[in-house]
Amino acid sequence: MNIRLDNLTVNFDDRFQLDEINWQLDDAQHWVITGANGSGKSALAAVLAGAGDTLSGTLEGLPAKVGLVSFEAQAELIDRERRKDDADIMDVISEGTPVHEILSEGDRNPQLIDQLVQMFKLESLVNRAFRKLSTGESRKVMLIRALASEPDLLVLDEPFDGLDAHTLEMLQQYLAGLVTTVPMVLVLNRFDEFPEFVTHIAYVDHGRLQYQIDRNDKQAYNELYQLLHLKTTDLEVPGADPETAIPRLDPAQPLVKLNSINITYDGHRIIDSLDWTIERNQHWQLSGPNGSGKTGLLSLITGDHPQCYVNDIFVFGFQRGKGESIWQIKQFIGYVSTALQWEYKVGTGLRNVIISGFYDSIGLYTKATDRQKKIADEWLALLGMSDRADTPFNKLSYGDQRLLLIARAMVKHPPLLILDEPCLGLDDMNRQLVLALIEKICAGSETSVLYVNHHAEDKIKGIENYLKLEKREPAAS
Amino acid sequence: MSNNYFNTLPLREQLEQLGKCRFMSINEFGDGVEALKGKKMVVIGCGAQGLAQGLNLRDSGCDVSYALREAAIAEKRQSWKNATENGFVVGTYEELIPTADVVLNLTPDKQHTPVVNAIMPLMKEGACLSYSHGFNIVEEGMKIREDLTVIMVAPKCPGSEVRNEYVRGFGVPTLIAVHEDNDPKGEGLALAKAYAAGTGGHKAGVLMSSFIAEVKSDLMGEQTILCGMLQTGSLLCFDKMVEEGIDPGYASRLIQYGWETITEALKYGGVTNMLDRLSNPAKIKAFDLSEELKQIMRPLYNKHQDDIMDGTFSRTMMEDWANDDKNLLGWRAETAETAFEKTPAGDVEISEQEFFDNGILMVAMVKAGVELAFETMTSAGIIADSAYYESLHETPLIANTIARKKLYEMNATISDTAEYGCYLYNHACLPLLGDFMKGIKTDVIGKGLDLEDTGVDNARLIEVNTALRSHPVEAIGAVLRGHMADMKKIV
Repeated sequence: MNIRLDNLTVNFDDRFQLDEINWQLDDAQHWVITGANGSGKSALAAVLAGAGDTLSGTLEGLPAKVGLVSFEAQAELIDRERRKDDADIMDVISEGTPVHEILSEGDRNPQLIDQLVQMFKLESLVNRAFRKLSTGESRKVMLIRALASEPDLLVLDEPFDGLDAHTLEMLQQYLAGLVTTVPMVLVLNRFDEFPEFVTHIAYVDHGRLQYQIDRNDKQAYNELYQLLHLKTTDLEVPGADPETAIPRLDPAQPLVKLNSINITYDGHRIIDSLDWTIERNQHWQLSGPNGSGKTGLLSLITGDHPQCYVNDIFVFGFQRGKGESIWQIKQFIGYVSTALQWEYKVGTGLRNVIISGFYDSIGLYTKATDRQKKIADEWLALLGMSDRADTPFNKLSYGDQRLLLIARAMVKHPPLLILDEPCLGLDDMNRQLVLALIEKICAGSETSVLYVNHHAEDKIKGIENYLKLEKREPAAS
Repeated sequence: MSNNYFNTLPLREQLEQLGKCRFMSINEFGDGVEALKGKKMVVIGCGAQGLAQGLNLRDSGCDVSYALREAAIAEKRQSWKNATENGFVVGTYEELIPTADVVLNLTPDKQHTPVVNAIMPLMKEGACLSYSHGFNIVEEGMKIREDLTVIMVAPKCPGSEVRNEYVRGFGVPTLIAVHEDNDPKGEGLALAKAYAAGTGGHKAGVLMSSFIAEVKSDLMGEQTILCGMLQTGSLLCFDKMVEEGIDPGYASRLIQYGWETITEALKYGGVTNMLDRLSNPAKIKAFDLSEELKQIMRPLYNKHQDDIMDGTFSRTMMEDWANDDKNLLGWRAETAETAFEKTPAGDVEISEQEFFDNGILMVAMVKAGVELAFETMTSAGIIADSAYYESLHETPLIANTIARKKLYEMNATISDTAEYGCYLYNHACLPLLGDFMKGIKTDVIGKGLDLEDTGVDNARLIEVNTALRSHPVEAIGAVLRGHMADMKKIV
């Protein structure tokens, strides 16, 4: 078997569309299709069973007999049975089609049906009307129909949903026994349900096949796990810690007000007479080419730039240079940047890295409270890293470190969250991860986000204010 | 002419001052920088230490400016650039010193006498003069005007780390002291505490000491284990490996990064942990080597301590100052010409454990040096806490500088005083270990033990483990590292 999808665009009654799918399924491969709800994973599976209208591209090599189990197929069969009942004009109560008839429809192996009925423990139900079965029972019937048709390709969309533990184990074993005889494509959205025999994973997002991963690629596999977790988890951004609450700011004042700011290096003025005010609850995007002074400008706000003492800067209620300490400023800011990541070369465990966000420190130098530990654990759960709470930070992948630093920046729910090129240096999968986390944060808190990127077009949902810096050429001397 | 202050004191007071050292609780720093609020702090000198402390103090809310010599300002020297680019007010001594409530003298030791003589007449009545090293007071006998308060705040790390640790929300261990002859208003301690808090030192631990204990222990530590032993060890181990046919690139890397790696284990768990990183046979080997080294080197450690105590060391060094640093510069040039210094680290991978396994002799040298320096200091009347900081605690910090750019970097980072003492030690120690090194083979430096069977005798292993764990530097180390439990969380 060799199925090829080339630039395939498929429409489903204008309800959904799969775009430009390029995919090849070879012999001895067993795939899982995964993705968030509504991403198009079931649609992609259904294409293999011939569903949808091809708008462009080609689909070649589909085998004659495809066994499909899906909620849609199940719903269709139940619907057919119901219509049969409605169509009955005689004044008798319709019993509906009994299970054994449903099972033996079409070209199926009767011995195999009997064997499977036993395995699924459906013996007592074979004479019952199909439409009277529970969801789980009718799902079993669908599975038996598909398996007993001895297909050339088996497409199972969420086959384990709604099955009891015993049946689930039995089915997994049974499928494992088929690996050499029939290629399988399973739609699953829980990683822990991926059977051992699966060789490849297809990740679908917004109607596109985004990633195809060989299961042996451990790193890609782990990243996909996290991405899926972040996209599908019901967990929300954990709350702040009432005991280490940030002092309240005067709501009438802006968060940041910079008046006619200059930054000069070696006589060259990088930023010239800039005014900028960030009001409460405003989200900003700061963009500009390399060397235009983005990071310098930010560090005036965070207090990391020595020239903040020679500029007119008002931040979080403090006019700079009047005897305030930088820790009084930093308590209002969450900050993530590549430089911070380089700086954060610590062997501290992940839980403590998150807790260090309460103290604006790199590394943790204070005993954490139980409540802080609990909040940190909630963040780890959100990130899908609960099992790594004590793993040293420097043992994480680059992308995971970035996620963790975002959690660290956000843990105290600062009035201002500065994300300085949060996707810099990340591959596409990790970018997706970071953006998924940022969107989750933007949606669920009162923090103003200041997002820095040198591409002005790289936008984040919910940001409406833009400041674009230009690079200033050195003045001719 | 200079007059050694320590030598003017009666023995009773000498011992009392040497024995001063107390680890302060973080609770003693609840007032933060309050005692410095509204006070004008003027820093003299804007090198690495001066700049780092100034940046930290300003970020803690203090009012900081820099006084430089007129020439430094007129010629826009590096110190002027350092200060102005960071947005500090810079002025001459005449402009700024008369306005200062606290003057921070952060110039090198050898400039102290001219600097203090220049600023003292300019200082406000009742102001405070702060040192970061007590050499000028203790060894040169500088007399400070009676109305002035004299304190010392000495971060126990190079300037770059003083700044970096502050920025990450921590600090570096810091020693503070009040010169009792100059505390007319009794505010010395409050000022020193606020200053330490302003640099972040209170978070990492503050030792309350005396000018005398600081000078006598600091000099001893830096000359012997901290710089001297690492320099001598580097040269001997490198030459031995090359002589025995080991690739020079490998030898160079093993030493350059080896000190840092093995002393990292020292920082976390003392000498015991450093030795525990070895296999049992290697541990016994390292122990035996270090016992032998201690026996050979003990007279040298005693001599260094004796020369420091009676002022011989500072006198001869000051003679070299007067002679345009002839010895210092000559020795510095000599070091640059050594084979170790001139051989770049080879492009080979050495795993963390391999640094231990193939560097048994280096482990033995660190153990011998730490224990000898500690034993010598404590038997000279310096309290165990001080001796611990000036031996074991600082060794990893110095080892880091060698990892960066070999001996050049180490000698450039440490003070001229330390560098001078380091060369003195090195010149005496190299010949002293000549015979010992003849018996050394690659099994203890370069290749590691070649053993089919890693079994050891139970009784011997117990003896060695007991000896390691019961050394007094381990007892005080456990206490002090416990105070600084949070330090463990740093890299």
